[in-house]
Formats: sequence, structure tokens, C-alpha cells
Amino acid sequence: MRPIARTAGRALLVTAMMCGVATRAWSHHAAAPVFDMNAEKSVTGVVKQVDWTNPHIWIWLDAPNASGQVETWGFEGMSPNFLARRGWTRTSLLPGMRITVTFRPLRDGKAGGMFMTGKLADGKVLTSTGAE
Amino acid sequence: MKHSTRIVWLLVTGLAVSAAAQEWKTKPPAAADWAALAKLPDLTGVWEAPTVGRGGRGPAAAPPPVPQLTPAYAAKKRELDARNFDDTEAANCLPTGMPAIMGHPYPYEFLMTPGKVTIVTEAYMQVRHIYTDGRPLPADPDPTFNGTSIGRWDGDTLVAETIGFSPLTTIARNTPHSDRMRVTERFRLTAPDTMSIETTVIDPAVLVKPWTTTRTLARHREWTIREYICEENNRNFLDGQGKAGVKLDAPAKKE
Repeated sequence: MRPIARTAGRALLVTAMMCGVATRAWSHHAAAPVFDMNAEKSVTGVVKQVDWTNPHIWIWLDAPNASGQVETWGFEGMSPNFLARRGWTRTSLLPGMRITVTFRPLRDGKAGGMFMTGKLADGKVLTSTGAE
Repeated sequence: MKHSTRIVWLLVTGLAVSAAAQEWKTKPPAAADWAALAKLPDLTGVWEAPTVGRGGRGPAAAPPPVPQLTPAYAAKKRELDARNFDDTEAANCLPTGMPAIMGHPYPYEFLMTPGKVTIVTEAYMQVRHIYTDGRPLPADPDPTFNGTSIGRWDGDTLVAETIGFSPLTTIARNTPHSDRMRVTERFRLTAPDTMSIETTVIDPAVLVKPWTTTRTLARHREWTIREYICEENNRNFLDGQGKAGVKLDAPAKKE
């Protein structure tokens, strides 16, 4: 196989794998239409509220925007059912905690996205798939 | 029609109707029925398909076989594909029904009682009732999301037959079923805590040949089934034009 074809083939395989994963792990709704699954961003702020609810947990984060005003971000995580079996509890994140969230941004550009990881001030990392 | 023939015809029709309307009466379980259960393969407990988390990368799995459609339904699928809907009604919390209900990345609890296997599915809090007491499938059940099921033991395998599905359920994405869809599932332990479920969908109007897929579940003795109220805080939606979105309005204030 020529190198370019091999690269393209590999890219296709990775895409197929990711699609497969997304389908398997996401029974409630499709992620790709609302979140940019190829982008990753991060924001640091203070937890305002955590909704430990089905079908998804929501983490609300207050962070200053470019003009210095506090903006509230919303991050969708997995369900409490999924997370509680993988090390999270409903008190893993509490209001007032300072965290850095990495996320797949909302396609509509609004302040939010799909939660990937949350790094706490003490260095502990919560991920979308489990807690360290 | 002669008078006597008509009377016989009315009598036969009347008997058929009363037989169809007659409900299967469950026998109260005796000690022997509970003892017989203990001799069957133990499918009880909480099961889940091994998954990897959102956005993560897992081992590449062989893609499942794709249903082969009849020309009429292939055309129907093309028409539905062309609408380019972002998602399904599941985003609005509508349960998927059979057969997709058995493909969730959430646990299932299997219960075995005399004459019945019950599957509690955590996602959307659904229940499937598989009667193993020898009753026949009804001739014309009301269409439902999970259909009407009976089961029998074929050696070490529980074989469930399901018919009677709501038109709101599909065989696969953009693939409607006809009222002739029938689903056969073969549940079998392949290791002490591993269950294989082979699912075959037949639908002469839609599929040119039976569509068979296999899923493997792992038993988690340390788990219990949890509540899942999809409407609790569903911020996802699919609108009437097929556009998916997320509601980011302020969260309900917590006390």
C-alpha cells in the first residue's frame, strides 16, 4: 500500500472505531450532532452546581470570560448509574471546588460541552469513564 | 349459504373468538416448580455488556452484520436516510423497544421464577416478560414496544420468541419493521459469569434473510440495578425537523 493510502486507511479505521465506541457508550442520544467530537477545549473555574441526575449528570461551572465577566458553563457527563459503578459519587464534585474541565465543545458555540476530564486543585482527575 | 351451514360457521367462529379471548391462567407454583428452577442454568443477576467510556477508545470490534433489505424496504430506508435526522426519539426519552432494547450500554437484571423469566432493563426502566409456562404466543397481540414473548429451554439455552411490535420501534436505524417481524433470542451461559445472546430477526416483508447478531454480557454480582428516570433532567432533544440540540437554560436551583 502506498503511504498516503495507508494513512487514509488508518484514519478511516480510527474514525470507524470512534464511531463504534460512541454508539456503544451512548444509548440515550447521539453525541456527534451536538458536540464536536474532534475538538477538545478546556476551561478553569469554580463548580457552581452538580446535577447528579439521569439521563446525564450536569456540571455547572463559573469561569471568567475574555472581558472578565463570570460566565456559567454547562457540561454534560455520563449518567449517575454509569459513573457510580466506576468510582464517582454524588459528592465527587461539590460547589466551590476549583477545577479545570476538558470537553468536546457544543457545535452551536454556546458555553458548554461534553465533559471529558476534570482536574481538581489537589491533582485528582475525574474522567468521563471513571474516577482515579 | 344454507341455514345449517351458517349455524356451523357461526359456532366455529364463536369458538375461535372465545379461544382467542381466553386468557392463560397461571398455575400457582408448587414446591416442585421452585425445585425445578434450581436445575436450570442460572441466568439471574445483573449483567452488562463490556463498554468503554464516552470519547474513549476501545478495542476494535468486528462490525455487526447489516440487515439485508427487500427492495421495497431498501427504498424506504433511502427515503428516511435522506431526511438526514440527527438522532432518534430516544433523545426525547422515548424507549427504544425491541430489538434495540437489548443493545444498551446499561445493565439488565434477569429474574427467574416458576414459568417466567423477567428482564429488567435499567435504561428507561423497562421490563420484558418471557413466559416459560408452556403458553402459546397469542395469535394477534396488541403491538407493544417490547412485544409479547414466550420462552422454552432447549438444553442449556433459553430460547425466547417475540412478536407484536409497535410501529414506533425499528429493526435498525431508519429501518421500520412490518407486522410480521419475529425475534428469536438464544440466551446461554458460555462461562460462569458470561452470557451470550444470539438474536435473530425475521421479517419477510423487510428482510431478504434472517438477521442474526450476537452480544456478550458479563455478570456483576456486586451490582444492583439503579433507577433511571429519563425525564428527570433531560436536556437533549430532537425537534420535529430532525434537528438535535441541548437545552442550556439555567439549572433548577438546589436547596
